[in-house]
Amino acid sequence: MAEGGKPRMWDRWTSHREEVLQSDLMQSWYATRSRRRALAAAGLAGLAMIWAGTVVSWHLAPSDTAMWVTISLLGVSVVTTVPVIGALNVATRGTMSLAESRLDERQVAERLRAFTVAHRIMLAVLVAVVVAVLAADTEHVPMAAVVVGVIALFETHMLLPVLVAGWRMPDPPPDDEEDEEDEDDASAG
Amino acid sequence: MADGKADKEHVHNRIAVLRAERGVSRRELATALGVHYQTIGYLERGEYSPSLHLALRIAAFFEVPVEVVFSLTPFPRLGSA
Repeated sequence: MAEGGKPRMWDRWTSHREEVLQSDLMQSWYATRSRRRALAAAGLAGLAMIWAGTVVSWHLAPSDTAMWVTISLLGVSVVTTVPVIGALNVATRGTMSLAESRLDERQVAERLRAFTVAHRIMLAVLVAVVVAVLAADTEHVPMAAVVVGVIALFETHMLLPVLVAGWRMPDPPPDDEEDEEDEDDASAG
Repeated sequence: MADGKADKEHVHNRIAVLRAERGVSRRELATALGVHYQTIGYLERGEYSPSLHLALRIAAFFEVPVEVVFSLTPFPRLGSA
């Protein structure tokens, strides 16, 4: 709270974000485990596009073809990953995006597990990148490839935990109201 | 290996029974304990074992000893004893 009792813009934004994360926004996107896994796979495909852009820039830059192919791949990647990450953040109820102080012990444990798995995958990605760079001709590396490669590394590092959490997440327990509806249906039948 | 460990460390609980008995909803219990309402559901389904601190707080909420709510062996079914 800011002085004068008025909530600051950051507090308002945080509470709005928490509200959205606890809502059932776009629920049909992540209602079942297979849909959440499809979302995670789409997110991985989005990340793969940035890596593909790096490869294209490495081999073809500087050229118009390299520029337009890379820009297109980055554009499709953004269009894919933004809604996927949004949906998975709501599905996991902000386990990966809220401050740890806003989470309970189960959510903190789930977050740590997701970070651990993502950390291992990231290590494998780094090893693969090092092997690929050592095996390639590094005498004339286009600057575009370095820039897109760094973007790919950052994006992979940032988004993997959310994708892992979405992939691993079991079906959440039904809400109280859904339980009551089930009981009503059972007693009616 | 992980599944075996999870089986070995499984803690049975009677949260759902106590909650139904007292007419407390998952959201009400979650609010009283300061946890997410889904955590109560995961606890009831046995998919999450609580910390000692949370277990003691759940027992305190229902005003029963902790062994009434949690057990390492399955609770006897009603009418079986």
